[in-house]
Amino acid sequence: MPVDVAQAMKISKSSETTRHSMPRRILSIARNTFREAVRDRVLYNLVLFVLLLTAAAIFVGELSGSQERKIIVDLGLSAMLLFGVFIAIFVGVGLVYKEIERRTVYAIFSKPVGRGEFLIGKYLGLCLTLLVNVLVMGTGVSLALIYVSRGWDPLALSIWPAILLIFVELMILTGVALLFSSFSTPALSALLTFFVFIIGHFSADLKSFANSMGSGVARWLFAALYYLLPNLANLSFITPAAHGQLPAPSQVAVVILYSLVYIVIVLAATTMIFSRRNFK
Amino acid sequence: MSHKDSIRDGLLLLTVLIGLATVVGLSRWLDSHRPPVDAKLEEEQLYLNGATARRISLGFNGLAADWYWMRSLQYVGRKIIGVPENVQIDSLGQLNLKLLAPLIDTATTLDPQFMEPYQYAAVVLPDIDLQQAIRITKKGIAANPSAWRLYQHLGYIYWQQKDFQAAGEAYDQGGKLPGAPAWMEAMKAKMAAEGGTRELAREIYERMYEQAGDNQVKEMARRRLLQLESLDQRDGLGRVLSAYRSKGGRCPSSWREIGPVLRALRLKLDSAGAPLDPSGTAYVLVSDNCDVALDPKSEVPVR
Repeated sequence: MPVDVAQAMKISKSSETTRHSMPRRILSIARNTFREAVRDRVLYNLVLFVLLLTAAAIFVGELSGSQERKIIVDLGLSAMLLFGVFIAIFVGVGLVYKEIERRTVYAIFSKPVGRGEFLIGKYLGLCLTLLVNVLVMGTGVSLALIYVSRGWDPLALSIWPAILLIFVELMILTGVALLFSSFSTPALSALLTFFVFIIGHFSADLKSFANSMGSGVARWLFAALYYLLPNLANLSFITPAAHGQLPAPSQVAVVILYSLVYIVIVLAATTMIFSRRNFK
Repeated sequence: MSHKDSIRDGLLLLTVLIGLATVVGLSRWLDSHRPPVDAKLEEEQLYLNGATARRISLGFNGLAADWYWMRSLQYVGRKIIGVPENVQIDSLGQLNLKLLAPLIDTATTLDPQFMEPYQYAAVVLPDIDLQQAIRITKKGIAANPSAWRLYQHLGYIYWQQKDFQAAGEAYDQGGKLPGAPAWMEAMKAKMAAEGGTRELAREIYERMYEQAGDNQVKEMARRRLLQLESLDQRDGLGRVLSAYRSKGGRCPSSWREIGPVLRALRLKLDSAGAPLDPSGTAYVLVSDNCDVALDPKSEVPVR
């Protein structure tokens, strides 16, 4: 039995018994999305990550002039972000599309499941997958640091705020991927989400473009883009983490708040677009 | 699985294995027949400057800095391998390392808090491009104003150039920073009083040896300390040889002839009675001009 039909039946059953329990329906969809990702072998990227870290821990020392700790953090956290971005984009754009393509969406929406609930459930399911991914990878980086330091290394602990920020960045990208996939094809959605990832790291340039433009319209346009697109550079803390620096708690709190608000906006827009789609 | 399927799988596996063997063979042939790399192309300037590389690194600037850092080490390493004699990393001026400054500059622009490239710039670059060495170190100080070690590097560059006043000022400024050791401030007075002496050189290299994170820099400092000790020993041996010649009118034909004096100087001797340099290799007695020289196999740097 396909996973999504099972999901629909389960939701249907739970919906009948707890008709008004929206969080339970969302959680049920999220759980099934996570299971589907596991069955699709998404977490196999962890094997590649472990191999990469093991090779780095063994060989980088000889190439880096005694800088293996810094390089393991840079390499580990960068790979964590890159692998996460690929999962967020390529799995994220298929979340809704696959359901429509397989027509399982009809079975789900014939039950008392709102389109918003469906989207949020899908979103949380992929975020859970990414969370597991990030936690395992973070543990791997910490263990690699302990290995190369031949004992306890304070970096093994101090990198975790940077890992938290990586996860938050992946949450934003998952939301963006879901938004594009709600009205576009998977290929185009993946491309657009990747552009958002790139431009999101050029936010400072957008702002300086806006300030340096002579024309008022151009200035307004770049300023609008600056505020409209997620400022992912705010979440980039890999390089300072490799030097053992910790971000200020107030900075982390504000960045997370900014990200959560941005995610809410993106999910609200996605729900709005998806609610208007006609599946007949 | 039927017999036919087994044969098919076997044939496919064989195809894969033969294919892999062929690929390896062809790659080896191509490697051995590849024309030598054009030296001009090998020394081609970097396509990206540090600021551009940082802009397009998408938050992976730390990793990109690591890449440029390792490239710097490999670049120097490849050049050193091509040199038959054992050179010190602070005397690489003759190796035409013109890409080293841009590589280190890019690494430090990508990650301005990455300290090892600054130390490498202070130790290796002055013999190649002094102005770049000073510029990169000052750039590091601007990006990390509280890092006293960068002032130590700057002081070292000036000291090597025998600009003892600038060196003293650099040590003094660094010594005033929180966390700086007391000897940093004391260096200003020492630079003024004994700028060109071996005692000061010994202290500078001892500090460098203590603080260096990079093994190449540590090794360089260790060998410079051996050299300083050997210079003292050779001065002593030279005096002994001069006194012997003044007294007997000729140079000793072997170290054994002056064995008692060498023992009185508390020098370590080998089984043939020759004094050992700080790396444990016997000194060579140059009878022609009645002098002492390092054995070519010695670890002690000649210059």
